Amino acid sequence: MATVTRPLPDKNEPRRPNIATGDVQLPAVRDYEQVDREIIGTLRPTLPWFIGLGVAIFFLLIGVTAWMYQIYSGLGVAGYNPPVMWGVYIITFVFWIGIGHAGTLISAILYLFRAGFRTTIYRCAEAMTVFAVMTAALFPILHLGRPWKFFWLIPYPNWRYIWPQFKSPLVWDVFAILTYFTISSTFLFIGLIPDIAVLRDREKISPIRKQVFSIMSLGWRNTDNEWRHFARAYLFLAAFSTPLVLSVHSVVSFDFAMALTPGWHTTIFPPYFVAGAIFSGMGMVFTIIIPMRKWFGLKHYVTINHLDAAAKLALFTSLLVGCAYMNEWFVAWFSGNEAEKSFFANRIWGQWWWASAILYTCNMVLPLSLFVQKLRRNAAWLFIISFTINIGMWFERFVIVVPSLSHEFEPWQWTSYRPTLVDYAILCGSFGWFSMWFLLFVKQLPVIAISEVKEIVPPKLKTPHAHGVDAAGRHFEFEADTPGEFA
Amino acid sequence: MRGVLGAFRELDSTVSAIEALKEKNVGLIRVYTATPRHELEDAIQAPPSPVRLYTLIGGLLGVTFGYWIAIWVSDYWPLVVGGKPIASWVPYTVFGFEVFVLIGGLSTVAGLFIHARIPKLTLQVGYDPRFSHGDYGIWVECPPEQAATAESLLRQHGAVEVRRER
Repeated sequence: MATVTRPLPDKNEPRRPNIATGDVQLPAVRDYEQVDREIIGTLRPTLPWFIGLGVAIFFLLIGVTAWMYQIYSGLGVAGYNPPVMWGVYIITFVFWIGIGHAGTLISAILYLFRAGFRTTIYRCAEAMTVFAVMTAALFPILHLGRPWKFFWLIPYPNWRYIWPQFKSPLVWDVFAILTYFTISSTFLFIGLIPDIAVLRDREKISPIRKQVFSIMSLGWRNTDNEWRHFARAYLFLAAFSTPLVLSVHSVVSFDFAMALTPGWHTTIFPPYFVAGAIFSGMGMVFTIIIPMRKWFGLKHYVTINHLDAAAKLALFTSLLVGCAYMNEWFVAWFSGNEAEKSFFANRIWGQWWWASAILYTCNMVLPLSLFVQKLRRNAAWLFIISFTINIGMWFERFVIVVPSLSHEFEPWQWTSYRPTLVDYAILCGSFGWFSMWFLLFVKQLPVIAISEVKEIVPPKLKTPHAHGVDAAGRHFEFEADTPGEFA
Repeated sequence: MRGVLGAFRELDSTVSAIEALKEKNVGLIRVYTATPRHELEDAIQAPPSPVRLYTLIGGLLGVTFGYWIAIWVSDYWPLVVGGKPIASWVPYTVFGFEVFVLIGGLSTVAGLFIHARIPKLTLQVGYDPRFSHGDYGIWVECPPEQAATAESLLRQHGAVEVRRER
């Protein structure tokens, strides 16, 4: 609980990155003034940001137009080919829900584990979670023939005298996603309050912005009493979010596992989906963080050590996912079930071989490169790998949804599936929607948690420790706290 | 509310000022800090936060409500699915868990708001914007006759600015 004093390391001791300890601290960040100046400095809108926002809105409009066309023409324009009645919309729904999982993993689970490398990347990941869940939540609605009736899934007293069927995984899904969205956005907002108070106090130019920040900061004043309750509440929200992460994608997997369809009806689905979700989310974290740290000049906050640690996590989840793939093959063979064996043969060597090849290459083979430390510490390579992970994870959901429905028990049911322009347009629209919210976020609110970074920056002292100050300006007596340890 | 506000640049000065003020029992102390620090926590010695009780009560209410509504709805519109009982606790556990987390989480936030006394419409007496930036502050709420003692203690321990407020 108390601050730990660490002995000075021997000068001749060889240094290797140790992610869980001091090496994830920020030697290039010397004081609180620098933290405020540099992080708040990222909020100034720039021309590339406006261009990016414009592109995002353009993609969003493409999706909106396609949806309007679909509402006018009916779901038939979405490429469904009975019995393949789940297609791009459900694939993309699961994809975005998965993306949302890394945010809560980084912000909540790594918080509980006191993993130091989360401090400078968790805010981005958390925002990514909220916007990814907002994106995912659109897809079940897009998938409805009458989207304006979506609220029928909510249990409320109504004139129809009917209620949702609580034994249905689709109803569980509604509540899992609503709960996940509510708790994730609450977690994001609660963490933002002290930082918004900083923005409120530093805003000197625009009275409107100052007023908005005053309202959003809820009158936060940084008192010891506020911090005491804040730390406790944050800890409990993290503790709630942790099983929630596991439950949400487990519930999403039940949408499949509860159905008597080859390839779906298996007990491995919940852990397989959760591992895949975290893996895909880590991919998206890299896709966002790596350009951001470059464009916002935050390389000394999100250091190579941070990326290295996150890459290890991505590698670990890749191995888990690979293990699940191999387990699927084994179970299909070991079950002796002809329908299951036939379906898997069709998935891997038959009709859908190309999708399976993309999936296994992107999710199992390429991430193995992260065993090499040099590649883990190479931001450009991580960025490339993150793209392949995103593609691979979208195809994982494609391979789960389409091959099963197109190759069920009876040969007369066997068919094909080809997405239409409407599907592709709505897929583009989802990326536009997500990017629009994220881009708006990064220029309105701090992308790095100011108050938590200050926890790992040495405070000003009147009387330095007898051992003095090290080369990086760190006071060893008041060694930086482990982030989040305060709870 | 009247008292004395002292602003500090250094953490160790703030800690020593808190200890001195507590020793002299000058008045109620409120400390401002841009980020939580164990040194301040140790000096203040505040009791544990009661927010945990909100979490517990909210969570229990949530899980109870989750099971209750699922069972009530099933009895209200009895529909046998898969030959299972009308009110099946196993599938309802999923719903019970989600409501447990939802209500438990929101109750935790309610507990934070109630005990941290936010939202506040105005920044009260004894606040200075530099406290969110990195300086430390100590607000001593005390009657006018003790204000001089508080002022001298704050100055003695390195306050860069001391002022009376009301």
